[in-house]
This record gives sequence, structure tokens and C-alpha cells, in this order.
Amino acid sequence: MSGGEHALESRLLKTGSERLALLGKHADVLMQAYTRDEVPLESLSDSALRKLLAARILWRPDEQSGVKLAPKVRELIAEMLADETRRHVNADVAETLELIRALVHSYREARSRGEHGRLEQQLMRLRQEVDDLNGRFADAIDSLWQRLNSDFGFVSQLNDKIRENDRAQKQIARLLDGLALIDFDELIELVGSDGGLRKLLISQLQQQLSHHYTSLREVQRRLIELMARFRKQQARSRLISGMVAFMREHPGFVPGNYARRSEVPGLVNQAAPLSAAAAPALDRNLECRLLADLLHRLPQPRHTTQTVEAAAPAQAQESSLAAARQQALKQDVEHFYLSVIDQPQAKPVSALDYLHASPLEWPDEIWLFQVISEYQGLPRSDQKAFRLKQQESQASQFNHLRLIHDVELQLAV
Amino acid sequence: MIEHGPLLERLLAGEFVCPISDESGYRHLTNEETREEIDTYLRPLNRRLASNEDGSVYFLAWRQLNDSARDQLSRQLGDTLNSLLPLLEWLQLVQEALGRDTLAAPGDVLKPAEFSAKCEDNQSLRERLERLATDSFFGSQSDQLDAQVKQVFKRLKEHGYLLQPHSERQVFVVTGKIDYLVDMVRFIRDEENLPIEEGSEEGSGAQEALL
Repeated sequence: MSGGEHALESRLLKTGSERLALLGKHADVLMQAYTRDEVPLESLSDSALRKLLAARILWRPDEQSGVKLAPKVRELIAEMLADETRRHVNADVAETLELIRALVHSYREARSRGEHGRLEQQLMRLRQEVDDLNGRFADAIDSLWQRLNSDFGFVSQLNDKIRENDRAQKQIARLLDGLALIDFDELIELVGSDGGLRKLLISQLQQQLSHHYTSLREVQRRLIELMARFRKQQARSRLISGMVAFMREHPGFVPGNYARRSEVPGLVNQAAPLSAAAAPALDRNLECRLLADLLHRLPQPRHTTQTVEAAAPAQAQESSLAAARQQALKQDVEHFYLSVIDQPQAKPVSALDYLHASPLEWPDEIWLFQVISEYQGLPRSDQKAFRLKQQESQASQFNHLRLIHDVELQLAV
Repeated sequence: MIEHGPLLERLLAGEFVCPISDESGYRHLTNEETREEIDTYLRPLNRRLASNEDGSVYFLAWRQLNDSARDQLSRQLGDTLNSLLPLLEWLQLVQEALGRDTLAAPGDVLKPAEFSAKCEDNQSLRERLERLATDSFFGSQSDQLDAQVKQVFKRLKEHGYLLQPHSERQVFVVTGKIDYLVDMVRFIRDEENLPIEEGSEEGSGAQEALL
């Protein structure tokens, strides 16, 4: 008896490993089948196809149709890839409960007959079934959270997101229905006084299921919130495109003047802006000191050097006659400078002597002024070529005002 | 009251305060006591605190609607209506250009460069942008795409619909004032009985009621 069982087990192990290996061996073809409708047969040999069909990895719905991926394999791949578009939520609780009941009866039979081998085996199968049930809920909840956290990012259109959300909510409803099928009073009666069974089917399962229940409720709440947001976004889009279409169709559309109504609608009532301005005030001693301090800390205003072009408008304002006279004066002074350069042995020349000796008719004061300003207007290097000596006297003993009577220009040698 | 000084100043200047434009200010405004304090302060200025229906933006309204306030509101309504179509068209253009399935909403990040690139690749988007940018509301004088986009974003920032967190970076965030604009559109539709569908909101309402 036990030898036969052993042989069966080793045969199962061998076939199982062989068939699992098929999945790896034909992984490329199977993945192509996953993304398409049918298996691309051209890349499979006849014997490989036979093996895959025998292992129920592939199946052929009828003679006419092509070969397809078995639903369980498709599910397995979707599960492994966390592919939310195809991941199924399946918690067939009713069938599992049937199975558990049967296993418990069988376990109790084995115990009453003292069949220890069978007892162990039944207990292991019970444990597997409970784990399975638990795992199915955990998987389903994981899949729901994934979809929720990605805002249903695996579909791009809002309408699709709304449909996916709807589908997820229906799945939750089914899962909750499944949970409701589990009646712990019945299970308590079923396990009776067996400590091992009680631990597995009552305390452990109850704890796990109540955890799932809380998770499902939370996901459900969040899904509904998200759905409300989706619908709101959808409504906004429709409203805006509707209004744009309407305004394009009716270019002269003018709504009523809501501001003239006896009850002005709240949304329209928006007060005019008001700026809270302030200016420096000098009526408080303490602040005066602060203001003075601030004033000192102001950055020095930078006077940029004025270019000739920039100064031009000021000149343009002068009458053209005055400008012409100014130009003539400047030219005459330049001639004076040239004559100084021509002086033998660099003799100093008095500006006023030059003026009076020439036919020029400039007033003395203006002449002197222009001679001095011409000197000051020279570039530094050119200034060094001349020596300008002013004949001056103090205007009065009470101040330092000095009067210039004449200037002498000399070539510096 | 002193701690609300900067917030008051913003409100008085006509700004819309939302979680994007002034997070801490907005948080203060969600407190009823603070709102009452501010309202009391605003009383002599003939202003009061107001918000849209969702309470997602706060702004100042006239307390007493005297003649000058009504004149001002009429002028403002006129401005709003003139800017309505270009603003809504811009919203649609952004949605289409960036391939989004929803309108720009508060908190969304917009990059002019990304927007330009999308419009550059698509003649129809390019033409729509051109028409929009040269509309008197946006007022672009340029025929260069980048300059047009820049002008459009600049105007939207000036009007408080966009916020530029770093002046040297060309990244903008949509503010809650967009909610106010949408509310305004809904209001006009309802007041004027315009034949515009908004889609069924009953579904979500019913679902929320279930909770």
C-alpha cells in the first residue's frame, strides 16, 4: 500500500517537473500567445505542440479554431506580470468551503479509525486549502491596490478608467459576498473539540479574513472616491468643451449683468483690488534714525558716463544759431591752441593777448572760459603736452573766491 | 491678527488664495475662527471673505453692494467674459497637446517647452496656438512659436491661473483659480439655461450616499 503510494507520488513529481519545464522551454512562444489571440504554430514542432496540449498549457476550443493559451496559464502569466488589464480576481469561496467540509469529515474519520498516515495527509491538505483561500483574497486585494494606486494608469482614456473602476468595484462586491459565505458558527461546530483544527480553521482563518475584510472596505472606499474624482473631471471637460462650442456658435452671446441684480450672486461678487501702500514718515524720533540709517545704506546711484549720442538731445534743444556760435568759438580756440604749438621755444602765450591781437570779437570772459574748458576737455595724455597757468586774484579777504584775469598757455617741453 | 498680515495683503490685492498659491494662508483660512477675525478686520473696508462652492479658493467680495461696487463688478464681468473664450480654448489646447484625458487642474505642472514641442510637431495645434496667442487677451505680437507660448504663460501667470515657483525655471503650476473659472462657466450655463451637457454626476452622488 505505502509502496504504491510512493510510486504514485514519484510519478506525479516526474510528470509535474517535465510539464513545468515545458513552460520555460517554450516561454517565447507562450508569451507571443499571451499578447495575441492565438499561438503562432509555425515556431512549434508537432511533438512540442502535442506535449503542450497534453500538459493543458495550450488548448484547441474546436477543430476549426486555432490553438490558444489555456485560461489558467494566461492567469498565471498575468499574475506574474501583475498585468492589471488581465489579472483575474477569483475567490470562489463556496467551492473551497465544500472542500474544507469534506476534508474535515475525512480527517475525523481517519482519526476515529486511528489511520495516522491519512490523518496527517488530510491535515496537510486542509492547511493548503486554507492557505489557498487566504492567498486568493490577498492576491485580489493586492491587484485592487495596484490598480488604485496607479489611478488606473494602464488605460489612458478617462472613460476606460471609469469602466475599470466600475469593474474593480464589482469584484470587491463579489469578494465581500464570498467572505460573507464563511460562517464561523458552522465552522466551530464542524471542528468540534479538535485543537489543531480549531487553531487552523477558527482562530487563524478568522484573523486573516477580518484583516482582508478591513482591506477590502478600505479599497472600496478609495475606489468610490476616485470614481467621484473621475466623474468630476469628466464633467469639467464636457462643460468646458460645451461652453467653447456654444460661444463659437454664438459670437454675440452676452449673459445678463449679474452685478445689477438685487441679489448679486456670490460667485460674481469679487471686490476691487486694494493696495496697502505706505510711505516713509518722519514724525517719530526712533523711526527717523532708522530711516536715516536705511538712507545711508542705499546703494550709491551709479552715473553712467554719458556718450555723445546720449547727450545729443540736449544740444538739439538749443537754437541752431547758438549751436553755430558755440561751434565757431570752439574752432577759434582750437586755432589758438595750434598757434601755441607753433610758438618758437615754447613761449607761453596769453589768451587775452591772442584774442586782442586777432580780428576775433569774442567777449574776454567767454574766450577765457572756452580756453580753460578746452584744456579740461583734452584727453589726459594731451593735457600733459600743455601747461595752463591762470593769473588770478582773491576776490575778497572774507572768502576764498578767486577771480581769473587771464590764462597763459605754454607747450610743455 | 498680526500673523495674518501677509495673507490679508494678498487678499486685499485681489489675489485668489488656494493650497497651491499660498499653502499656509489657505490652511489658516480653513479655520472658521480665523475667517471671522479677518471678516471683522475687513468690515470698515467694505469687504468680506468669500470662497467658491467647494471652498477650494478664497477671495474678497464687497460687503455692501453700493453703486460704485456694482459699477466695478459690471466692468469686471465684462472683462471676465472677454477673456472667457481664450481661457477655455487654452485649457482645451493644453489637454490635447499634452495628450491628457482631463483638463488642467490645480496642482498640475505645465512646462512651456513641452507644450511648444508638441505644438511644433502638429500643424493644427500650431495654428490654434497662433490664433490664441494673438487674441487680444494674450496679446502676443510675435510670429515665433516659443515667444507666443511664453507670452501666453506670462499672461496666465499675471491673471493668477498659473504660478511660477522659481522665477528662473520655466515650470508652472496650475492654481485653484482655475476652479473658480470652471465654477463661473457652470454658473453662466445655469443662469442662461445654455444647452450644455455636463455628463451624469448622479452616479458618483449615489455611490457616495452608499458609504
